[in-house]
Amino acid sequence: MFSLLLALLIGEKMVHVFEYHGKHYLYDTGSGSLHECDEKTARYMKGDVTSLTDAEIKEILSDVEGLKKEGLLYAEEVKTYPFKSTEVKALCLHICHDCNLRCKYCFADEGAYHAAREMMSLETAKAAIDFLLKNSGSRKVLEVDFFGGEPLMNFEVVKQTVYYAKEEAAKLGKRFLFTTTTNGLLLTDEIIEFFNEEMENVVLSLDGRKEIHDEVRKTVNGKGSFDAVIEKIKKFVRARGDKHYYVRGTFTAKNLDFSKDVLFLADNGFDSLSVEPVVTEIPDLQIKEEHLPIIEREYELLCDEYLRREEKGEGFNFFHFNVDLEGGPCLQKRVSACGAGNEYFSVVPNGDIYPCHQFAGDDKWKMGNVKEGVLDQDIRLQFATSCLFTRKKCDGCFAKFICSGGCNANNYHYNGDINDPYEMTCAMMKKRIECAMHILAERKCRQSGEN
Amino acid sequence: MIKTIAKPAEKKITGCGECRSTCQSACKTSCTVGNQSCERVTREQKIERK
Repeated sequence: MFSLLLALLIGEKMVHVFEYHGKHYLYDTGSGSLHECDEKTARYMKGDVTSLTDAEIKEILSDVEGLKKEGLLYAEEVKTYPFKSTEVKALCLHICHDCNLRCKYCFADEGAYHAAREMMSLETAKAAIDFLLKNSGSRKVLEVDFFGGEPLMNFEVVKQTVYYAKEEAAKLGKRFLFTTTTNGLLLTDEIIEFFNEEMENVVLSLDGRKEIHDEVRKTVNGKGSFDAVIEKIKKFVRARGDKHYYVRGTFTAKNLDFSKDVLFLADNGFDSLSVEPVVTEIPDLQIKEEHLPIIEREYELLCDEYLRREEKGEGFNFFHFNVDLEGGPCLQKRVSACGAGNEYFSVVPNGDIYPCHQFAGDDKWKMGNVKEGVLDQDIRLQFATSCLFTRKKCDGCFAKFICSGGCNANNYHYNGDINDPYEMTCAMMKKRIECAMHILAERKCRQSGEN
Repeated sequence: MIKTIAKPAEKKITGCGECRSTCQSACKTSCTVGNQSCERVTREQKIERK
């Protein structure tokens, strides 16, 4: 009797039941709460009541009802739609459409973005800063990311743009947070000093083990670039102190055992890491559906070692294992995702504006030019109204309030529609989130002296 | 037995916009909002700790 009632109730609600190494978890999508339970409760929550006694069912129901009353289980999802902001918050400045590497998987056509190789002039960079300040409304903190190609090939413009932006922002009582994404090849003491002074975050590209890195990240002469960058990146990280940075790698079909690359990077003293699945259609590099079980197993291996090292006091930060269930982003942020094409844009060397770096160079998505200062409102509206609830595939997905429906650009490039999430990305995302939740649970156990 | 591991501090719909642009957090391909923290909450916690 009880089970029938509960089964009907469960059918209407969104609780994700999953198991990790014999531990059972319940993630309540509506409230964002995570619970650990015993095997019988997990089975019951999945609708399997075989071999459960009435007394056991009664006990489970009592627990469930208690949490429901607290709003922590079967909580109703709150539907809120993104505010239609007219303010611009961040720009990705393509400071250089050229690169000193020729990485096989580069989405940006080895830095050229399917056009002529060129540098952004200081005049255009200043126009972009003016555009951002003029359109930033009441926002006090603005962001600029120096991107490429390889931005250090145009370092003088990076430097002068930072000084200009700071000066202009101060006049308006605003301030900038700067980020640079670099392959590290041109890092010098002067640049390291400048970055530590001015950059809120620095993202350095390094794929992991030498043979893995060298296979895809080639110099212009076709040689592997590992030896040319590793010591420079190490030097940078040593000098970085407690300021933000990420060593960011890519894994491809050629290194599906990527947990080894993450751990290689950690063993080399890098403690802030992000290693991402490649976005490419090159056959021998592309991640395919048949790779998924291997990739999921790799995330588990990484998660296990991550916890082991953390316990020994040798932990590191892996970006995708960060899920802040207690103090995470507000609901507005969760439903409106990255903000590309609405409050965040990319500006290419000639000043043309695109929704983000992954749309750069595609005329269909050109939204204007910083020198003219006008944004295509039709494209902007497409992005502004695109949110979690316009992505039908996300209905019924437990991860939706954490992933926000995936990357607009990935959705578009793989499925032809910014609102159509790419299933492979979804599968990897879900696995990473389960790992992250298990990490939270293990930490809590450790803190409370259990286990 | 059900034991709560984590629950949101409060249900927030604020949309104050203080958080960093997601794409600049780390990876520029699959950065997601769930990997970020609320900058306002983080800042307030820092002040409290001081």
